[in-house]
Amino acid sequence: MLAFLNDPGVLHGIVVLGTLILFFIGLYGLLAKRHLLKVLIGIALMELSVYLLFIGLATSPGETAPILSDGLRSFTHMADPVPQALTLTAIVIGLAVLALGVSLAIQYHRLTGRADVASLTELKEPR
Amino acid sequence: MSAILRLLFLIVSLSPGLLLLAWDGSLSWTLIDGVRLSLTLTPLAGFFMVLLAVAAPLVALPMLRRPLDWSSLALYVPLVLGMELLLLAGDFISFFIGWEIMTWSSYLLLLRSPRADLETSQSYILFNLASAFLLLAGILFYYSLSGDFRIGPLAGTTFGQELILAVLLGLAFLIKVGTLPLHIWVPSSYDQAPDLFSAFLSGAISKMGVYGLILLLTLFPDALTSLAGRLLEGPAAGYLLAWIGVVTSVVATYKAIAQEDMKRLLAYSSIAQVGYITTAIGVGSSLALAGALYLALVHTLVKVLLFISVAGIVLQTGQRRFKDLGKLIERMPVSFFGVLIGIIGLAGMPPLPGFAAKYLIFVSLVDARWLLLLAAMILASTAAFIYCYKLIYGPFLGHANSPQAREAREAPLIYLVPQVILMALLVLFGFLPGLPVQVLIDPVLVALGMETIGGASWAELTTTYGGYDGVVLMLVFIIAFVLVTGIFLLLRGRMHRAGSPYDLSYAGEVPTEGTPLHYGAGMGRELHRIPLVGWILRRGTRGFYLGLAGQMRAAAALLGSLYVGRPQIWILIAVVVFAASLAAQSMLGGL
Amino acid sequence: MTLPLTPVWFVALPLLLAFASPLWVRLRLLMPLLVGTPAVLLLLALALLPEVRIAPLVETIVIAPPLGIHLQLDSASWILVALISFTGLLATAFIWLGDGESYLRDRRAFIFLLLLIAGCNGMVLTGDLFNLYVFLEISGVSAYALSALRRDAPALEAGLKYLLIGSVAAVFFLFAVVLVYLQIGQLNLAAIAEGFAGIPGPMQILIGLLMLVGLGIKAELFPFNFWVPDIYQGSHPVVAGLYSGFLVKAFLFVLFHLVFLLLADPGVAGAWLMGLGAATMLVAEVVALRQDDMRRMLAYSSLGQIGLIALALGFGAEATTAGGLFHMANHTLIKLVLFLTAAVLMRSFVSARLADLAGAGRARPLAAAFFVLGALAVMGLPPLNGFASKLWILKGFAEAGVFWPVALVLLAALIEAGYYFRWIKVLYEPRADLPEARAVERWGYAPIAVAAGLIVLLGVAPFLVDDLFIEGAQALLDRGAALSAVLGAGS
Repeated sequence: MLAFLNDPGVLHGIVVLGTLILFFIGLYGLLAKRHLLKVLIGIALMELSVYLLFIGLATSPGETAPILSDGLRSFTHMADPVPQALTLTAIVIGLAVLALGVSLAIQYHRLTGRADVASLTELKEPR
Repeated sequence: MSAILRLLFLIVSLSPGLLLLAWDGSLSWTLIDGVRLSLTLTPLAGFFMVLLAVAAPLVALPMLRRPLDWSSLALYVPLVLGMELLLLAGDFISFFIGWEIMTWSSYLLLLRSPRADLETSQSYILFNLASAFLLLAGILFYYSLSGDFRIGPLAGTTFGQELILAVLLGLAFLIKVGTLPLHIWVPSSYDQAPDLFSAFLSGAISKMGVYGLILLLTLFPDALTSLAGRLLEGPAAGYLLAWIGVVTSVVATYKAIAQEDMKRLLAYSSIAQVGYITTAIGVGSSLALAGALYLALVHTLVKVLLFISVAGIVLQTGQRRFKDLGKLIERMPVSFFGVLIGIIGLAGMPPLPGFAAKYLIFVSLVDARWLLLLAAMILASTAAFIYCYKLIYGPFLGHANSPQAREAREAPLIYLVPQVILMALLVLFGFLPGLPVQVLIDPVLVALGMETIGGASWAELTTTYGGYDGVVLMLVFIIAFVLVTGIFLLLRGRMHRAGSPYDLSYAGEVPTEGTPLHYGAGMGRELHRIPLVGWILRRGTRGFYLGLAGQMRAAAALLGSLYVGRPQIWILIAVVVFAASLAAQSMLGGL
Repeated sequence: MTLPLTPVWFVALPLLLAFASPLWVRLRLLMPLLVGTPAVLLLLALALLPEVRIAPLVETIVIAPPLGIHLQLDSASWILVALISFTGLLATAFIWLGDGESYLRDRRAFIFLLLLIAGCNGMVLTGDLFNLYVFLEISGVSAYALSALRRDAPALEAGLKYLLIGSVAAVFFLFAVVLVYLQIGQLNLAAIAEGFAGIPGPMQILIGLLMLVGLGIKAELFPFNFWVPDIYQGSHPVVAGLYSGFLVKAFLFVLFHLVFLLLADPGVAGAWLMGLGAATMLVAEVVALRQDDMRRMLAYSSLGQIGLIALALGFGAEATTAGGLFHMANHTLIKLVLFLTAAVLMRSFVSARLADLAGAGRARPLAAAFFVLGALAVMGLPPLNGFASKLWILKGFAEAGVFWPVALVLLAALIEAGYYFRWIKVLYEPRADLPEARAVERWGYAPIAVAAGLIVLLGVAPFLVDDLFIEGAQALLDRGAALSAVLGAGS
């Protein structure tokens, strides 16, 4: 019944659509939410959607993991390993940034009692 | 240590003179790829170097009075060196470098005065930098035309290109000399600058603008005539310049008369004098250029003399307004003679060389048949007598109007030495009006490819419209002076002298301490009632420039509102700009 | 065992030393190593210079390009690397000698400063697009952390704001990287450059715009630079000096490197960047007029100069590019002087506000003199270095007969004078009650004096170094040579 999903075009279309929706949800959270943690989660969602897009579009149905073993002796019908490696790296980096952001937000909350993006008003143009 | 430093300082101040004696050949090196600096001394630059060689040490000497202001001394060094570079420049880049060094070091020197306020210092530096940047724009345009930064006549350019170049460079130099309506920075900065430095500002720095204007003429093959043809007997393009100069002189002269502060008066008088020079440059003939150079020389001598005398008065009394001074003739006789000689030179009265300079300019206007200009100029130069009179009367004659003026002593020797030297020079040139012409001015005219105007001897000043013999003239005046002074001294014992300014009564009123009895108080106030003059005096460009500054601040506030401190707005703007340019590009690409 | 002198040390050395920091704390070597690392990197850069001038150094990591990652040190990136090391050296020397705030002298600051250097070096050296993203994030993360180092409300606010906007930039850039890989299947920059023309037009535009937004935010170009003043104001002036000194220069370099490498005809992109540069310059200079906090004023001034550099590099002529690179170096020196001076003044008077600094020139004559020198240089007044590079840029425009940038640059310089001279005047305000100044370590002036000396030297004798920048401009502009250096001749 889900055989039509085996068509790369359809699958990639769904991936593009889904990741774009995810991207815009993240963007919405980033732009519209007031709480610092929610804003950070928005950024994380945006990053996630880019990762998904990368992995989703780089692989086509029917490809196997790029590992030579058990009779697999050639590189045919294997997924491109590079996007996955890159995504792993990007996830690690994204996590580091997110952790730093959250820790800064927590420190800020401890110091001032506020966790609202709109309350970041100490640095601004002079009147 | 201190002695060595002071000696070094004096050597630097003498360096323009040393350069004149020792400079031989030329020097050049590469600054960056494609920009070659070259130094050489042209006769025209040599003339202005003479002015610098006179002004620099004479202003430097009184600066050595204790307590020393080391910062001022240190800043004076790059100032003088920068001006030397500017004059030695054989290419526009070194010219510009010298020009800019002069600008910022003079600004920093201006800041050494505790009286300099924010508005004055800002207007000084912004006008001068505007001048510098116009100059740089003109230089770059020149470079795009000639492919080279070396200063030399252009060839094969269109009228439009020459016009752009003339406007850019002309505006730059006119700001520097301070012609109307670009003069707003001059009076307040000359007034608020350190007293001795005002002498240098007026005597030397403003002359660099004159140098630039004459240099501008040399860029065009037939000078001003090539720009827009001829009008009557002179160049049409110069007619505009000449009017700018004359209007400047007229307005500045009346403004000067209305001033109640010695330094402000001198500042406006400087503007007026440079206005005459500008007019003469506009005429552009050999007579006129000789007059312009001559007047530049006399103006340097006179203004350095007057500003140093005034600096001495301010130093000894702490007062700079006419109504707070008076009767200093008995207490400061040398300064009195300094100012006396100075104003005679300034007013262009015979027998001093100021007359010779103005005579040449007048004759050149006659020669060009620009008689309306001549009339306006005579109006200005006659009205100048009034402020000259005010300058001698206010501080030196009448009653002493403040305790400081009553107890003042003669200025220190270190102030008097330059005054005596300058007085001697002025008197010498009075005897020998042909001396500067033959020694200093004729070489410049030769280099510019013009006829020389030198007469048979140094004592004579000759033109095709007649001339005069300086020795005879001077002797007549000296004899008359001796006679009048002798009679005055003989009759002096019989004159009535008031014991105090309050030893009088008029119309039944008894003057009190608060009544300004000094003749100088309110002098020139009535000028406001003369129709045209009053209109001039009430007008000013300050409102316009303040308005401009206000508009800039409003623009800053408007643009500053973009820089809201809210991250989500920044991101929103970035995303919107991204989406909009994507949409625009796809529309353009798609259609 | 001999260690080969290769470009990889520019990244590896600071990374290794940073991660071994607990050891250095125990050995009490933190400060010497903090200053020593950039010093060693500077020496390395100088040692490699003769080789680089002959041919670009391509350092392969594991597999040869286009499959593997490589670092490429050519005449253009050498300038940036040397600049980063030198700026790092002076700033860390200031931290050490100036005996300043303790939070700048502990282990965290040590790690993040070295990471920042490593990240920036990596960005300008790498020949791999994804690697570029990684280094961009490394330098980003360390910059966020450096901003927040003081851990009081303004610092944390600066760090958070920086992190938010920086992460968005990184997402945009990552998006572009992903699209490029999906289109071309390559990550090596040279290989991408060869295949880039084969991408469909709309996709090229999408990728270009994504990169423009991502790098534009980082490189502080106009409609993306609203964060800059806040971050510079909230960070310690030394840290802000590093941002203005080399962080933004590295991003700007990367942006233009990509433009000149990827696009066979950079005309359209160059025109866009020139427009953005001009807007950046004018808007920043005008807004700076109303600033009354020194750090904020310097931030706007820095933006103005960044705009000028973008304007010069975007034009793409050899003279403007060489001038632009030279101006990068000069601006770094100048801003270093100004920000370090601001640090001294802030330490002395506990404030960076105009009103509190009135008359400071009489209490701290040396600091004020350095400020004046830096201000004159940044406005491009001779005989200081800012003049030489501005002249070079303007000469390039004049040679090409294009005069609108000349007019804008000069107008911007005039507006710039409007606020710098106001600050100078106020610093020397004659005031009866001089502000009370807290003691400052005298040795802290040494790094400022070194930079100031170079400002004068490069202003008087720019001919000493102009060859370097001409070669740098040629390396940046010559696409064919850059490609064949990596992929071999005939490609």
